[in-house]
Order: sequence, then structure tokens, then C-alpha cells
Amino acid sequence: MEVFKQLYDMTALGPIGDNPGVLLMIVIGALLLYLGIVKKYEPLLLVPIGFGVILANLPGGNMGVVAAEMVELPDHRYLNLFEIASEYGIMNFIYYSLIKTGFLPPIIFMGVGALTDFGPMLRNLRLAFFGAAAQIGIFGVFFGAMALGFTPKEAGSLGIIGGADGPTAIYTTIMLAPHLLGPIAIAAYSYMALVPVIVPLVANRFISKKEFGIHMKKQDKLYPPKYKIKNIKAVKIIFPIVLGVVVAILVPSSVPLLGMLLFGNLIKEIGTATQRLSDAATGPIMNTATIFLGLSVGATMTAEVFLDLKTLGIIVGGFLAFAISIAGGITAVKVYNLFSKKKINPLIGATGLSAVPMASRVANELGLKHDGSNHLLQYCMASNISGVIGSAVAAGVLISLLG
Amino acid sequence: MEEGFNQALILLGVGMLTVFSVLLFVVLIGNGIIFFTNRFFPEFETTNNKHNGNSDIDSTKMAAIVAAVKKVSGGKGRIVKINRK
Repeated sequence: MEVFKQLYDMTALGPIGDNPGVLLMIVIGALLLYLGIVKKYEPLLLVPIGFGVILANLPGGNMGVVAAEMVELPDHRYLNLFEIASEYGIMNFIYYSLIKTGFLPPIIFMGVGALTDFGPMLRNLRLAFFGAAAQIGIFGVFFGAMALGFTPKEAGSLGIIGGADGPTAIYTTIMLAPHLLGPIAIAAYSYMALVPVIVPLVANRFISKKEFGIHMKKQDKLYPPKYKIKNIKAVKIIFPIVLGVVVAILVPSSVPLLGMLLFGNLIKEIGTATQRLSDAATGPIMNTATIFLGLSVGATMTAEVFLDLKTLGIIVGGFLAFAISIAGGITAVKVYNLFSKKKINPLIGATGLSAVPMASRVANELGLKHDGSNHLLQYCMASNISGVIGSAVAAGVLISLLG
Repeated sequence: MEEGFNQALILLGVGMLTVFSVLLFVVLIGNGIIFFTNRFFPEFETTNNKHNGNSDIDSTKMAAIVAAVKKVSGGKGRIVKINRK
């Protein structure tokens, strides 16, 4: 009998029975796995996050990320990484070395940069302004979050969900409110996966039938651009270098994200001479970073941290931030159309939030539904890509003012 | 509460102004670079060959021609038209 008792004590069955919250978290982890595997919603992130949630909540495994106070020593000093690993396990080692230091999101941004083509934006530079207008959700939701009892830092982290950019949301949260990292990452990636639902939902409410029908190619023929780009390759190489310098001067706190994005883009645009770097940035480095980021973000979602009213606030607030951003971009186009002869389809404003290229594809399909010859993809990509820059700058502002 | 509202208002103003300013710089820098390259490095754009009346030349041959002209002229040469004989 004693043998069976010892066997039972060795397993995690006892602690699981004592804490039903653990079971709920395992169900949430399984739900994330289901969404990633079956529904194919952002599987590269939701699968590691979902599995990380399950690992972190199984008692005895020592895989849950502990609060920063646990590794803090007097006089603003911290346990070293070896001590963290031996005392709290490998997941805390990964979290405190790669996530808490803010290392992985910029690394992923480098890969994103190497996958990004600034060409559509450079060919339609005016549309870049709508990428700015669509950041309004980030700052707009701040009011509501403060009213609900979030601290300014927490409200800033919640608002950044409206930027629709996973690495940016994670980076900002690490800097401002690391204890909310799990729910904010989940909300950000879930809403990004739901772009095909959210964009039409907001667009159908804010855009009239007549506006849906604005034909961009016809507008281009009526009002052709003043000049053509004669050497797009040279433009694409010079652009990230000059922009990187200017952004570093204007908003230095956004440089870890934007600097790495522009560096990644530069090594892609140079071509064969830096092909190997570009391949590494978009392949092994980005994939490795994604695995560690996903698993450790999932591991922050322990029952005692996640099962909180604030999580509900983040889910609702994140959706509002997202919807306000889309509506902001649409409104900006409508205002522009009031003063310009050359009309722009408001769907282009709806793609001003990041979520590249999903938002552009969805807007393009919406446009085609109203007019089979109205291909908006290249125009949407212009504001979509500028939205990536805009959300990284907005993150820099939040970190500067609230950090 | 009022303090929080004021902070949110300042954040909204500063944030949106900064984002618009940076994207204004993106537009200005982009236009500046396009003007600069059009003026000083107006390279023949192989992807636009259809518009230049060279649609019958395939892209590999076009790339070879561009590379040859670049090499021979030290990067200063410019292809205006290609005729097949």
C-alpha cells in the first residue's frame, strides 16, 4: 500500500486535483493547440504557445515562468542565469535570458524585414499616411483601459494590440507590463488570426456601397502619378539605410524593432551578395526565435496569473483597439477623399494596421466582391507595410512615455 | 481619474503626432531617394520591358545584356532601346 502511495505522490495527480485552475489552463492550452493545428490560426505561434501553457501548468514540471520578484535580489540585482536555471528550471532560463531582455522580438522583426517588400509602398507613397491613421486604436483604447483600473503601463501594453503586430505587442509588453505578457500575446495573435472576420465586420459598417466601388486603376488612369521609379533596386537599397538613421534620431526607443526590421530588409534587397544572411534571417534564426518565443510566452500563462479579471479586460480591450484602428484608417481615407480629386478606396485605409499580408488579402477580396476588376492588393500593401512602421513607432512612443 | 484622463490625452496627442511625423518622413525620404536615383542612377528596368517594346526578349537574356553593358561601361552606361536583327 505504501508503494502505491509513494507512486501517487510522485505523479502530478494530487496537485492537479487540489487546484482545478490547472485543469482549466490545460483546457485553454488544448484549445490553442486546436486553433493552431485544426483551424490553422497562426499555427507557427499558437502551437508553441498552447503547448507552453500545458507544460507550465502541469505541477512538478517546474516549467512555469515565475514572477520577476522571485529572481530579484536587494539593490536592483538579479539572480544570474545559472542560478535561475538551477532553481526555477529551463523555461525560466529561456524566459529571463531571451524574452525578459527583449532579445527575441527584434530578432523576429529582422526576419520579418527580410520577408518584406517595400516596393508597393514606394510606388504609392501617399498611401503610407493611412498606416499612421490606423494606429489610433493603440492610443484610443488607453482611455477605456485606465477607466477599467489598468495602470498606465498595463493600458499601454493593452493598447498595442491595436497595432496588429505580434512581435511589437510582445516587445512593448516586456518593457511595460511583463506580468501581462501571456494574455496580451494570446489576444494579439488571436485577433491577427481573426483579421478575415474583423476587417469585413468593421469595413461593412463604415464603408458605403459607392465607396466600395472606387476603382483604383481607373483613378490612376484619370490622375497618373507624376513620376515613375527608374531604378527600383537602388531605391530599395538606399531606403532602409536612410529611414533607419532618421527614425533612430526621431524615436530612438523604436530602434530595436525598426532598426532590425530595416536591417533585415536591407540584406534582402542587396541581393545575391547577402543572400546567405537573408536566408539565415528568414529561415533558421527566425524559426528558432519563434519556437523559444512561443513556448516561453505560453509558459508565462500559469493559472494564478492568467485566471484573472484583467485577462477578460485584455480580450475585450484588445478587440476594441483592433476595431478602432481599422475604423481610424477608413475614416482617414474618407477625410482625404473630401479634399482630393483622386479618390481612394477606403478599404486601403482599413489595411493600415500591420497584419501583413493577411489584411491586404482580405481587403482585396472585399474589393473584388463589389467589382470583379477592382484589384486593390498592391495599394493595400502600401498602407499595410507602412502600418508595420507605424506600429513600431507607436510602441517606441509608449515605451518612451510610460517606461 | 482626471490625472489618468490627462495622461491618456497627452499620449494620444504625442503618439499620433509622432507616428504621422515619422510616416511623413517616410514619404519625404522615399520621394527624395526616388528623385535622387532617377536623376543620378536611372538604370534600365528589366521588369518593364513590355512597356519598352522589348517584350519578345526573355528576362534572362535581358539580365545578361544589362550586366554586360554595366560591366563594359563601368556602371555608367544606360540601355535606351534593344533591337533584334
